[in-house]
Amino acid sequence: MTKRSNRASAFFGLLLLLSVTLLSSACSKQKGGTPLSTSARDSTLVVAMLGDADYLNPVIGASVTSGNIAGLIYPSLLQSEFDTSTGLLNYLAIEKKLRPSSPGVASRSPKGALAKTWIMAPDNRSITYILRSDARWEDGKPIVSRDFKFAYRLYGDPVIASPRQQYLAELVGADKGAVDFDRAIETPNDTTLVFHFHKPVPEHLALFHTSLTPLPEHIWKDVKPREFRESKLNMKPVGSGPYRLVTWNKQQDVTLASNPSCVLPKPGNIRKIMFRVVPDYTVRLTQLQTGAVDVVENVKPEDFGALTRANPGLEVKTVGLRVFDYVGWSNIDHDYFHKTGKIRPHPLFGSPAVRLALTHAIDREAIIDGYLGTYGTICNTDISPSLKWAYDDTIKPHACDPALAAKLLEKEGWLPGPDGIRQKNGRKFAFTLYTNAGNDRRNYACVVIQQNLKELGIDCKIEMQESNVFFENLQSRNLDAWMAGWSIGLEIDPLDVWGSDLDKSRFNFTGYQNPRIEQLSQLAKAKMRPEDARPFWVEYQQILHRDQPVTFLYWIRETHGFSKRIIGEELNISGTFYNIDDWTLNPSANAVR
Amino acid sequence: MASYILRRLLIAVPLVFGVLTLTFFIIRLAPGDPAAFFIQPGISPNVAEQIRQQYGLNDPLPVQYIKWLGNVLHGDFGRSFSRAQQPVFDVIAEALPVTMTIAVLTLIANFAFGIIIGVISAVRQNTFLDRFLTVTALFFYSMPEFWFALMMIILFALKLPVFPVSGLNEVGAESYGPVGFVLDRIWHLVLPVTVLSINGAAGIARYVRGSMLEVIRQDYVRTARAKGLSESAVILKHALRNALLPVVTLIGSSLPFIFSGALFIEVIFAFPGMGRVTVEAIFARDYPLIIADTFVSGTLIVLGNLMSDVLYAVVDPRIKL
Repeated sequence: MTKRSNRASAFFGLLLLLSVTLLSSACSKQKGGTPLSTSARDSTLVVAMLGDADYLNPVIGASVTSGNIAGLIYPSLLQSEFDTSTGLLNYLAIEKKLRPSSPGVASRSPKGALAKTWIMAPDNRSITYILRSDARWEDGKPIVSRDFKFAYRLYGDPVIASPRQQYLAELVGADKGAVDFDRAIETPNDTTLVFHFHKPVPEHLALFHTSLTPLPEHIWKDVKPREFRESKLNMKPVGSGPYRLVTWNKQQDVTLASNPSCVLPKPGNIRKIMFRVVPDYTVRLTQLQTGAVDVVENVKPEDFGALTRANPGLEVKTVGLRVFDYVGWSNIDHDYFHKTGKIRPHPLFGSPAVRLALTHAIDREAIIDGYLGTYGTICNTDISPSLKWAYDDTIKPHACDPALAAKLLEKEGWLPGPDGIRQKNGRKFAFTLYTNAGNDRRNYACVVIQQNLKELGIDCKIEMQESNVFFENLQSRNLDAWMAGWSIGLEIDPLDVWGSDLDKSRFNFTGYQNPRIEQLSQLAKAKMRPEDARPFWVEYQQILHRDQPVTFLYWIRETHGFSKRIIGEELNISGTFYNIDDWTLNPSANAVR
Repeated sequence: MASYILRRLLIAVPLVFGVLTLTFFIIRLAPGDPAAFFIQPGISPNVAEQIRQQYGLNDPLPVQYIKWLGNVLHGDFGRSFSRAQQPVFDVIAEALPVTMTIAVLTLIANFAFGIIIGVISAVRQNTFLDRFLTVTALFFYSMPEFWFALMMIILFALKLPVFPVSGLNEVGAESYGPVGFVLDRIWHLVLPVTVLSINGAAGIARYVRGSMLEVIRQDYVRTARAKGLSESAVILKHALRNALLPVVTLIGSSLPFIFSGALFIEVIFAFPGMGRVTVEAIFARDYPLIIADTFVSGTLIVLGNLMSDVLYAVVDPRIKL
């Protein structure tokens, strides 16, 4: 009896094994055996992305992924380049540059621009673009100035709710509530495009704000604003960039193919680019390691070693500095403010001296050494060292000095209590530090900070909240202390974060108020050349460094994993895929076309 | 029986509806804002407001509920907030087949492995083989699926590159031809289905073992042996058939587990199925999609339970409905 069932189980086992091997062998044959599939992989660049694009439509696309992909499909009025030697953004038309490129800095070809040149009015109240006449949409219709005017109406339509409507804030009429498009944008002929502003606008800002992507009017003109977001046309974008959309399998992948008719500037080098959705970080890394994908963004520093050891065909590239983490302290008593609308200092963090003590107490170097290694650097204020034209390099970081911190706290009346926790007027120095769940870096930093503060006699609890919950609590100013981060824009505009009017400055979570900061920002923005605003930004940084409205922790170099078969990638602070149309694949170069 | 089924279905309608109403209020009362993404520096403060207006979130909650109720009674569950305003049922129509494929394959694998292991354990009760299978089954049963999935990926995709790591197909699979395409798809399904089914199979194996042990001791099994029937005929024909009666009803009730398991598996293996749709909808506070997902999974669970009750009556003539 036992023999028989033995045989039966052995039989089942065999069957199983057989079927599995059959399946895998059949498929590996498919994978490796047919030349078609090999060449398909050889001429296809695969980029892993965390989530799907939302819209491949420049008017309503909101995510960075959408922007990256739409940027390859649609034409742009100007080309922009980030000058690493000055930290200034430069704008290029075919025959004109805002400023000469710095010597030794890789320059971008201006041939991708639709504008031949531009003329800024002497009073800085209007800008006129002359467009090239040979650019065509993918369907063969010429790209004309009316396409821009048409698109700007869409950008400004409140029903469409474009996330880019802020760009229209200087156009005529915007100061009175709604842009008057007939007066603000003129199109005297197919190749002339004129924007009128309601106030003088510095040239670089005018270029920045008027270079939104156009849409083909002849395709979109019959779509009603209410139906714009749900229109089927969003699934088949008609552009004229180096790539065109081939397939979009929602939540799986977006495949682009080089656009042979492109003259802006030329068809993309790599024949196909596939953006694949891979939500899980470990799986993205595994795929990079096995060669199933070629690019993975935001690889954590702790994974570099294992990654490049396991597959020598990989390299890690870094770009920065745009992102920093900070510990936010409530400068004002938020509860009291919510109840009465009046301002009084926060009982714990209201005094600049206490905040300075906290900064001195926190060992920022230890966090950087322990987690970021060479990919982090101490942060003094929210002006990035990459923006060299504005950055004040004379500021000395507040050193980690627990003795000094203790002295500062004692001067403020925070004396050690019987249980070792400092107190003042019967109030213990105890609080909860909130951050969003699922961020290893912040998790690590929180623990170091907790330990640093404990040694100083401060009781700090840590609480992780789901991102949505955390963000809502921040927004409604419910938190006394938190750790978060900012990714800065390439134009400095700090009023959202530091503005004194707490109703208007939605991101002033700390409640820090300093009229001089506002004044300096206004003065700097009024300068027609950004370089002339440097003295204002230097003073701005010195004030923030002195007042410590938050404890700035560290700047982070973003780190991305690349397969070495990609040739010619140039990472830039303005984006990982900055020059993706110039990349080539090795050894596929021969297999292409 | 027909009237029983009809009665149960009628009861299911208010049940599902109650679940949807609860979901409607719970997700709206939870912190988080569907327009939160648009609240960031550089984006005009008007945008979040315009978006909320579009989604109809500026109305008071009771008004929103009544509007929603009216739409749902017309069969309109609305459009997704986070997925380019697609009608939610289009989103689900794309995702459901993926999950159903995984679920059906998992169900088959669950029962096939579960029954085989259970029968072997029962027939060899208290031997080393039985103990080994029991311990192994408990080991897998108590393992979190997401962790197990990652371990399988590291083992079978990284250390021994036998299976692909994620996705439904290889890059360029369209060029394989229909047969190759399907094989490629199956090849991509091996790891996730194994992960999902090992857990369930372990549970079913325990169930089958218990049920089988009870049956083997019955008089009619002894009689069958006394008649001189071969052991395999006794076990497979006489004992197993009866032992499987309670197991069959598990088919219906294991559906919800497979669906909740698919939640993790689809995120890890990057499958565009219902599990991922649900997880992403929750993180994005995509209210219409969350409700539609609840509707689909709620209905499936109710139907699954009904199916297991009906199966009871079908396989066991002693039970009358």
